[in-house]
Amino acid sequence: MSSTSATKSLQAILPGDVSKGSDGPPSLAEIDASCRVPVLSFFLSGLAWLLLGTAFALVASIKLHQPSFLAGQEWLTFGTVRTVHLNTVVFGFASQTAIGVSIWLMCRLCRVPLVAPGVVAVANLFYNLGLLIGVVGIFAGDSTGIEWLEMPRYATPILFASYSLIAVWTIITFRLRTERRLYVSQWYLLAAVIWFPWAYGTAQVMLLIEPVRGVVQSTVQWWFTHNLLGLWFTPVGLAAIYYFIPKVTGRPIYNYALSVVGFWSLALFSNWNGLHHLVGGPLPAWMITVSVATSVMMLIPVLAAAINHHGTMIGNLGHLRQSPTLRFVVFGAVAYTLASLQGILSSLRSFSEVAHFTHHTVAHAHLGLYAFFSMVMFGAIYYILPRVTQQQWPSNGLISIHFWGAALGILLYVVPLGLAGLQQGRLLNNASVPFLDVVRFTLPWLQLRTVAGLLLGLGQLAFVVNVGWLLLRMLEPLRKPVIQILSGGEITSTGK
Amino acid sequence: MPVIRLIQIGSVLLLPIAGLLALRWAMRAGQMARLEGAASLPFDLEEPEGRMTDQILGDNRR
Repeated sequence: MSSTSATKSLQAILPGDVSKGSDGPPSLAEIDASCRVPVLSFFLSGLAWLLLGTAFALVASIKLHQPSFLAGQEWLTFGTVRTVHLNTVVFGFASQTAIGVSIWLMCRLCRVPLVAPGVVAVANLFYNLGLLIGVVGIFAGDSTGIEWLEMPRYATPILFASYSLIAVWTIITFRLRTERRLYVSQWYLLAAVIWFPWAYGTAQVMLLIEPVRGVVQSTVQWWFTHNLLGLWFTPVGLAAIYYFIPKVTGRPIYNYALSVVGFWSLALFSNWNGLHHLVGGPLPAWMITVSVATSVMMLIPVLAAAINHHGTMIGNLGHLRQSPTLRFVVFGAVAYTLASLQGILSSLRSFSEVAHFTHHTVAHAHLGLYAFFSMVMFGAIYYILPRVTQQQWPSNGLISIHFWGAALGILLYVVPLGLAGLQQGRLLNNASVPFLDVVRFTLPWLQLRTVAGLLLGLGQLAFVVNVGWLLLRMLEPLRKPVIQILSGGEITSTGK
Repeated sequence: MPVIRLIQIGSVLLLPIAGLLALRWAMRAGQMARLEGAASLPFDLEEPEGRMTDQILGDNRR
């Protein structure tokens, strides 16, 4: 079937006005309106999981330096709250905002309204149902014990099916595009929506449904864990950066050809990187060597992205004062470069001998998932929400609190913990230092981590209040007649 | 060989093949030609190149 006839077939079976046909491409307002319900569903549920995940992160963080904290609550042991934090933040917040941003970006770049948005909204409901069952399952003691795959087997098929539906809808949107040329963000998004179910499905089959044996388990597990960052969050984050920096500044990307080189080299090398987490493990040396070599080759996509992101911003730094989107996205772009370079360094055997099994790894994970990915997603939400709701952000002050809380919080988290982790590694490698002395050394840094977590939480709270306020404004026209009916008279105030 | 092993081997082969097919399609469809032209795709008549969007901070009205 040719491309044109396939598109016509899709248009015939799908409800809604796919494009304006002879009247020209749809307007941006039409595209944004078509995405309103699904994008709002993913953003709002993502933010709810973020608050919950942060609360559990704080409990876990306090327990690390004050083990008696909530010690009487057997359902809040460190092992449980840390696991719940990971799963709510990774699958609840990060993945759902990634989906919301991907849907909107794909529609905008394809110049096509989202068809049957209700289907995506229903997928969101089932996704959250699967997540809720999974988290309750972890609390009930049904965790699988495999990192980032802890949700029990009875929850994951719901998540997988919901996500697959969303992926299919993204591909349908792409097929119906009215703009035939592809922008680099579309390459990243299309790859991400395929890579994620592939990695998740393969890991589910090989670790939970028909488990492999021995060290192959840890091989598959680290392959999956690294690819969740490298082949799901990274491409979506980069897609957003490549769209929002040019869009906000009004200036095309510095070197477009380089961005394409970056995409294909990421596709080629990233998938192999996971086994550098097993340096020193009982695996064939060649497997780890291949992983270390491809991790170093990641310099190509990382430098391509860094040159492009930072090259586009040169001469436009003044815009950072005016645009919250740019502030968050540029912060995330810088963090992407740093997190990737740190990751490449961490893959080297000599470095890993010191840094592995220390808090340095925890700092690196947060540099990637929070300083890079989450900050880019926050920036994207600051751009997208006013457009899909047709409302301005109610409070610039809350935006500033969010940015500075998040930026200072994550710097306070990553820098001290990363450096202390290296010293912790040196002490652990020194046989003359008692283990308890190493533990005592880490205590002040862990306390500082809790302070950093509180700052992050404060920023996120400001963000959620602003989002709630914006939604109230959106619902204002709907509320007015109700108040009018209830009060039985004319309303003279604005309803506030 | 158990079906599950066939699925595993299939999934290992599927992705590189899909990647190569995508690259082949991109070459044939002209996606790799005139690359710099694609750089202006985020812009359109409503939000043209050269116009900054999202200037909401530094605004004292709110």
